[in-house]
Amino acid sequence: MSFLSVEEIIKDYDGVRALNGVSLHVRRGIIKGLIGPNGAGKTTLFHLISGMERPTAGKISFKGMDIKSMEPHEISLLGVGRTFQTLQIWGNMTIVENIMAGMHTRLKGGFLSCGLWLPWIKRREKEALEEAKEILEFLGLLGRWKWPAAQLSFAEQKILEIGRVLAMKPELILLDEPAAGLTPTEVRKLAERICQIRNGGITIFIVEHHMGMVMEIADEVAVFDNGQLIAEGPPDAVGKDPQVIEAYLKGKRVNA
Amino acid sequence: MVVIDHKEFRKRDFLYVVPFWLLSLIVPDPHLDHLRKESRFRRRDLFYLGALLLLPLIWSDKHLHHLMVLAGINGILALGLSLFLGYAGQISLGHAAFFGIGAYTTAILTTRYAFPPFVAFWASALVAAALAYLIGSPILKLKGYFLALATLGFGEIFLVVVREAHRLTGGVIGIFGIPWFSLAGFAFDTYLKQYYLIWGVLIGLLIFSKNLIRSKIGRAFLAVAASEDAASTVGIKVAQIKLGAFVIGGAFAGFAGSLFACVMSTANPEAFGLNLSILIIMMVILGGMGNLYGPIAGAIFLTWLMDILGKYQEYSLPIYGLILILLLISFPDGFGTRLNIRLIYLISYFGRKKRRERVEL
Repeated sequence: MSFLSVEEIIKDYDGVRALNGVSLHVRRGIIKGLIGPNGAGKTTLFHLISGMERPTAGKISFKGMDIKSMEPHEISLLGVGRTFQTLQIWGNMTIVENIMAGMHTRLKGGFLSCGLWLPWIKRREKEALEEAKEILEFLGLLGRWKWPAAQLSFAEQKILEIGRVLAMKPELILLDEPAAGLTPTEVRKLAERICQIRNGGITIFIVEHHMGMVMEIADEVAVFDNGQLIAEGPPDAVGKDPQVIEAYLKGKRVNA
Repeated sequence: MVVIDHKEFRKRDFLYVVPFWLLSLIVPDPHLDHLRKESRFRRRDLFYLGALLLLPLIWSDKHLHHLMVLAGINGILALGLSLFLGYAGQISLGHAAFFGIGAYTTAILTTRYAFPPFVAFWASALVAAALAYLIGSPILKLKGYFLALATLGFGEIFLVVVREAHRLTGGVIGIFGIPWFSLAGFAFDTYLKQYYLIWGVLIGLLIFSKNLIRSKIGRAFLAVAASEDAASTVGIKVAQIKLGAFVIGGAFAGFAGSLFACVMSTANPEAFGLNLSILIIMMVILGGMGNLYGPIAGAIFLTWLMDILGKYQEYSLPIYGLILILLLISFPDGFGTRLNIRLIYLISYFGRKKRRERVEL
């Protein structure tokens, strides 16, 4: 039984076949990279895994459970967190609140008990604040924990989005192009953090256009083209695969 | 870590720090309302509380007392809608219907079945909340304009039902002779007593809302307003959160309706139409979205404005409209929010000039 497995997935959008019979597996505790040209169906696969869309056919299972027809919030309860290609932080909250909102499911309390601010709510909020500060310290944002999140730079907002996912204490994180729009220094820092997260025992599935980063940090790489899986394996082997070079790299060699 | 060198703080700095500090006592900081606070109350709240307690004693004018009673009722309505509209980011054009349901529940229970007003008060909120739950479950699946239309429809249906159900509601004429609100034999029979009753309820509900906003529920509201996709992927049940905000807004309106029925001693359908729904939305927008004090300020302001304009009879509506347009142009995100933003900019401008902040990452 593999950790996350996707089998024979087909996804149609009004006659356009975005994914055509894709099967892949992610083992526990690794960084799995997913690359491919624009429109290859990478983000679509993430939408399917996180439950935001339903596959037309096929099977998705996480820890042996069929998650194909679950709602996004149910899937997140199982321990799957994700970030978005189009940045989705909550700009109307502070930085620390963004992180604490990520802990939503781990905090107990309903509408009435929260409104009455019962003792255990107070205690849990305090603990949550401390925990959020720890996460912010890891991300290097602790100095600005009370800032409105909208005032962070683009790169910092991307980091914050990862922090929000970490706050869920997930087992699997889906990162959708975390390095897009970042400077080389920021990309290096990000790669470091992703490795640290993996070393902490969290599995990472990453879609990325930044080849250098994927080849450097990923333990395994899968390549999509036109909604199909064309190669899978260790980064250096995939980088040398003629089919990959043909389809994605347009003849250029990858410097792994 | 932000390190500020306090040695560079000089006497001259008090020139702007002291006035701003004084100003900060009275100006609400709506943007920061939902930020985590170490304590529940701050000096500002004490200032408001003192002002509220003393106002009717200093200014002992019957008309003013009555006006503030109505402003308080509108404030409760605006507070409830603020949670739904300002925080959870959903629109409702039928909020007045819950107000009406509260008023009619109290009217019917007290006049037909001789329930004490205190029991009717809680029953009104329960009935309004239950109805909000029933209505909200299906229509909150809608978004934006469609939600606006559905809630508008609900408001109109409510009016039609009230007008036609003569047996229960007295039709167009309404119900008369609702007793004063009373608690353990103490009747709130003057405007002054009602003033304290209603503002007491308002403060209670405000504290409830403040607690809600700084807890996980408040964060979920804001998350749903900003991005439903992101909210659902961290495990927030978007439908449940929206419904919760709607039900709480409905319950607040139920409380307000019950108090309104006791204060006016009548309930008739004219008071609960679309006009009122839009007025409540105006209070929230004028006061500022995503904040709790603003809508109450908006409620006081609009209640007074309508009262003052009442003198000008047929010209009152055009003048009213003009004032609203001018206010929305100059304070597009509500006067509370706008003033606060200016304040922050001013402070940070002066602060930056002399004292360099060293930001360590």
